[in-house]
Amino acid sequence: MTAFFQGLGLPFEGAWLLSTIIGILVIALPLMLAVAMIIYADRKIWAAMALRRGPNVVGPLGLLQSFADGLKVFLQETIVPSASNKALFLIAPIITFTVALMAWAVIPFGAGVLVSNINVGLLYILAISSLGVYGVVLAGWASNSKYPFYSAIRASAQMISYEVSIGFILITVVLWAGSFNMSAIVESQKGYYGFLNGNGFNPLLFPMAIMFLISAMAETARAPFDLTEAESELVAGYQTEYSSMAFALFWLGEYANVILMCGLNAILFWGGYLPPFDWAPLYLVPGIIWFLLKIAFFFFVFSWVKATVPRYRYDQLMRLGWKIFLPTSLFFVFLVSGFLMLTRYGGAQ
Amino acid sequence: MPKVKVDGVELEVPAGATVLQACEQAGKEIPRFCYHERLSIAGNCRMCLVEVKPGPPKPQASCALPATEGQEIRTDSEMVKKAREGVMEFLLINHPLDCPICDQGGECDLQDQSVAYGRGSSRYDENKRAVTEKNMGPIVKTVMTRCIQCTRCVRFAEEVAGVPEIGAIYRGENMQITTYLEHAAKSELSGNVVDLCPVGALTAKPYAFEARPWELKKTHAIDVMDALGTNIRLDSRGRQVLRAVPRINDDVNEEWASDKTRHNVDGLVRKRLDKPFVRKDGKLVPATWAEAFAAVAAVQHGGSVAAIAGDLLDCETMFAGKALVEKLGGSLLEGRQTGLSYDVSSLSSVVFNTPLADLETADVILLVGTNLRWEAPLVNTRIRKAIKKGAKVFAVGPEFDLTYKVEWLGNDASLLAKLPEAVVEAFKGAARPAMIVGGGVLAKDGAHGDTLALVDTLGLIKDGWNGYNVLHFAAARMGGLMLGYATKGGIKAVAAAAPKLLFSLGADEVDYSAFEGSFKVYVGHHGDKGAHAADVILPGASYAEKAGTYVNLEGRVQFGEKAVFAPGDAREDWSILRALSEALGARLPFDSFDALRGQMVKAVPALGVEGIADYGWSVPSLPTGATGELGSPIKDFYLTNAICRASPTMQQCSAELIHGESFAEAAE
Amino acid sequence: MSLGYYVKSFTLWEFVKAHWLTLKYFFKPKATINYPYEKNPISPRFRGEHALRRYPNGEERCIACKLCEAICPAQAITIEAQPRDDGSRRTTRYDIDMTKCIYCGFCQEACPVDAIVEGPNFEFATETREELIYDKAKLLENGDKWERAIAANLAADAPYR
Repeated sequence: MTAFFQGLGLPFEGAWLLSTIIGILVIALPLMLAVAMIIYADRKIWAAMALRRGPNVVGPLGLLQSFADGLKVFLQETIVPSASNKALFLIAPIITFTVALMAWAVIPFGAGVLVSNINVGLLYILAISSLGVYGVVLAGWASNSKYPFYSAIRASAQMISYEVSIGFILITVVLWAGSFNMSAIVESQKGYYGFLNGNGFNPLLFPMAIMFLISAMAETARAPFDLTEAESELVAGYQTEYSSMAFALFWLGEYANVILMCGLNAILFWGGYLPPFDWAPLYLVPGIIWFLLKIAFFFFVFSWVKATVPRYRYDQLMRLGWKIFLPTSLFFVFLVSGFLMLTRYGGAQ
Repeated sequence: MPKVKVDGVELEVPAGATVLQACEQAGKEIPRFCYHERLSIAGNCRMCLVEVKPGPPKPQASCALPATEGQEIRTDSEMVKKAREGVMEFLLINHPLDCPICDQGGECDLQDQSVAYGRGSSRYDENKRAVTEKNMGPIVKTVMTRCIQCTRCVRFAEEVAGVPEIGAIYRGENMQITTYLEHAAKSELSGNVVDLCPVGALTAKPYAFEARPWELKKTHAIDVMDALGTNIRLDSRGRQVLRAVPRINDDVNEEWASDKTRHNVDGLVRKRLDKPFVRKDGKLVPATWAEAFAAVAAVQHGGSVAAIAGDLLDCETMFAGKALVEKLGGSLLEGRQTGLSYDVSSLSSVVFNTPLADLETADVILLVGTNLRWEAPLVNTRIRKAIKKGAKVFAVGPEFDLTYKVEWLGNDASLLAKLPEAVVEAFKGAARPAMIVGGGVLAKDGAHGDTLALVDTLGLIKDGWNGYNVLHFAAARMGGLMLGYATKGGIKAVAAAAPKLLFSLGADEVDYSAFEGSFKVYVGHHGDKGAHAADVILPGASYAEKAGTYVNLEGRVQFGEKAVFAPGDAREDWSILRALSEALGARLPFDSFDALRGQMVKAVPALGVEGIADYGWSVPSLPTGATGELGSPIKDFYLTNAICRASPTMQQCSAELIHGESFAEAAE
Repeated sequence: MSLGYYVKSFTLWEFVKAHWLTLKYFFKPKATINYPYEKNPISPRFRGEHALRRYPNGEERCIACKLCEAICPAQAITIEAQPRDDGSRRTTRYDIDMTKCIYCGFCQEACPVDAIVEGPNFEFATETREELIYDKAKLLENGDKWERAIAANLAADAPYR
């Protein structure tokens, strides 16, 4: 696109800036729309599994429910508690929201369709998702209220715990793909057994795919790991003192994160923008369609789990993270790297 | 002292007691409608049936059966239960199912007793009897269909009120209670039949449909309509007193109250002063408390300060007023608003020395210049009782219908110096002679001395008996005299001193034209004469809105409690005076009502003890030789004070009963 | 600790079973009433919004006996009464604070003339709390509006009283 703008007579710097901004908008705005729809879908799926109807009043089939909610929240008064640290209190939701959007820079929607094709895309994602916890911690601390503070402590511990195992899981994928570049990782998944696209079909990586799915839920604090906002214990967790747009930003950021994790699942283990089968006619369908379908599927799984599994206890969450996922993923790092030593890199001699 | 057995328990009862009283003494409750302790026995409701042996094998009406030696009374047998159920069923045959719209509902004897002693249902299918309403005056509302013919009202009117104008006509099922020729019962005690009526046939007209007994907060208070100090219970809801009913106190009011006592309460919410006013350019304009205080503080009085106490005040207010006047350097205090100036050097010579309960044992009574029916209706009922026991009553003064036989000697004060021989003879032979000196005497120069001179002539002082009685009719009078609210020469002397600053503590009967030069501060509750004349009005509390000590005409100290809060910005009088003292730079040394009362009791110890204060007995030497006619100080019984004048009920009573207009007819 | 246990544990068998169950429910018909468009039938004894009834000749039934005020456990009813011009006992004020009311129905049980009733209407949500403090006019209006339904309900329930 830079070239396109250069063709219109702009200098390189200007063209680059313009094209980057347009690229960001092209991703961020539909993403916001997607968040709205995905909140609606989440509620609908959850309701259906509980034999309820879910939102069905605003708009056809209730499709506009999220927009109505958004409008309501937007018109509310932003209440800043008098005892809070006001600056941090207001910055916290912005951090959460911004960080959730930043990660999308390196997500490949199709072959070469991405804002920034950097070599260490996966590291970038790890770094950004680690920053996400700051929003929650700051919100909890700045509220100067007991429940949010509790929630912030829980959130930081939870996210750090699962990032460790996520890190090891990603290493197995990186080892297999031999690259940190997201597009390269996707491309590397082509042609398992001659007809399947996706690391998930690799028996050595399939357990990692399941563990990543579970860890992704924990990382985004989705049910059954939503201990940070466990309403029966902590009112609304770190969001307790928030209202209006500040609250909405948390909400948007959270769901943007969920979509991101769904996308990562697809990219890392299930072929990203590749069709599921390595069969020529399927490549006629644009890669972005496959990618979005896979995101939608994983989001359905997320909602499905939310509707099925009750919330974990905090000690169970910690036990799962440190005593099961961490050793298992570590073991698989050895297993995969050992396997690759033996086969691909001829380490037998 | 016969011995009887009640439900197997043997006990001794006083001679002359009835079976019903014996059962009560044994702690058995006997249901009754027609029987009443203070009325004669009628025995016509049949509700009090018990089984008595020896005697005929049928239930007996216990209220009319004397208890005799060896009786075996059963109140819990099957026969008694059946008899009560039967009587109750008969009583309810013609009693309408009116309870939801009946004002008696919730405090109805018939309701309570039919629950306790009646059957669950009636077997009567025929039409019920209906009776037309009767006119019983502006106080009593009648729904005669509900009447069960207990005749309590008939007996009360005849025996206690002395107006035999209520009676029963026709017989059997058609019997009706009615007033003579449908005239209003012209009695100042007519409201008592409402309390007596065991059903809802007679209810209070001004209180009609106002409230249910269970919503009312009940406060024990002391009435201030006359000097008797009637013990009353104020029933209030929210910030409004809805009714006043008498409490039983055999020493004071037995269980009666005058109509004025009962029905002045609707005046408590009308014409009230609910914010301070300051006179600016000849007009009273609303102000804040601070502005009103500042206006008072601006007066250069130089110690020329006076206070006039009204008739409805409690002792605490008067004491606080006195303390303020003295602190400001003044000394002029007066409570006798209408200009009386009798000598108060001996309080015993201006008090009702005979205890009221003893008055009914008097055997010869001389009334001097008094209309007892208006000045103290409940003293009048005591004299009626004394007459029933054989007392003879003479009277000097203008003639009134006192509801009993009085030998009128004429209306000339000089008669006091030379009473007819027959009177003197009658007193000579009396064991408990009494003289009642009314307001007409105190207003006449020398007459007070003439009556005191009669103490010896008529032998009013006997061992344990003092028959010299001065009858006041202002509730605050005796308390005011004890606190020194009396200046030699009376209100005229106060006016002559021309105080720069005059505190009018609810004084509404004063002729304020005599105080032209004074800056008048009115502390009171109604927009009446005192408020109209005032330069600054500080809204105070009426008797229902403050606790207080009251001294009645016999010197009996009684305490009343606060029923409701004063309206609007009005405050309790003592706190107004306390706050005002601060603004005047003469801070009064009490910060709470208890502290004020403590200081008052310290100054006048008698005010701290409930009961009759002891004034000793001494006779000052006073000028005698009054001549001329004795007057009557009360012109209209129903409109004697600011509260009554604000009360529509009292206005109507006055118009209908005293001035003869019939509002009912005018409306038609 | 059999082999089966490990197999089940490592294949997350319990989770799979649970998700299969929820997936089946996902496709089942919904149990919820589609409320504003569908409504459940309600009992004739349903205790909904209050109403003050009138006699067929238009005279209000309430006689200000205050029994409902007395029995109200939430003290939501306030009544003031005075004789009307024709001398009959009527309320001058009949307020129900619907935010206090607990819809126990004692008031209609206590009423000797079937004046205060809890009608079948339950859709009276308002935007402000003030609107939920009903006065006599509002209650009488309710009575006029719902009289047919209320009368039918009372008639339906009468044999069981």
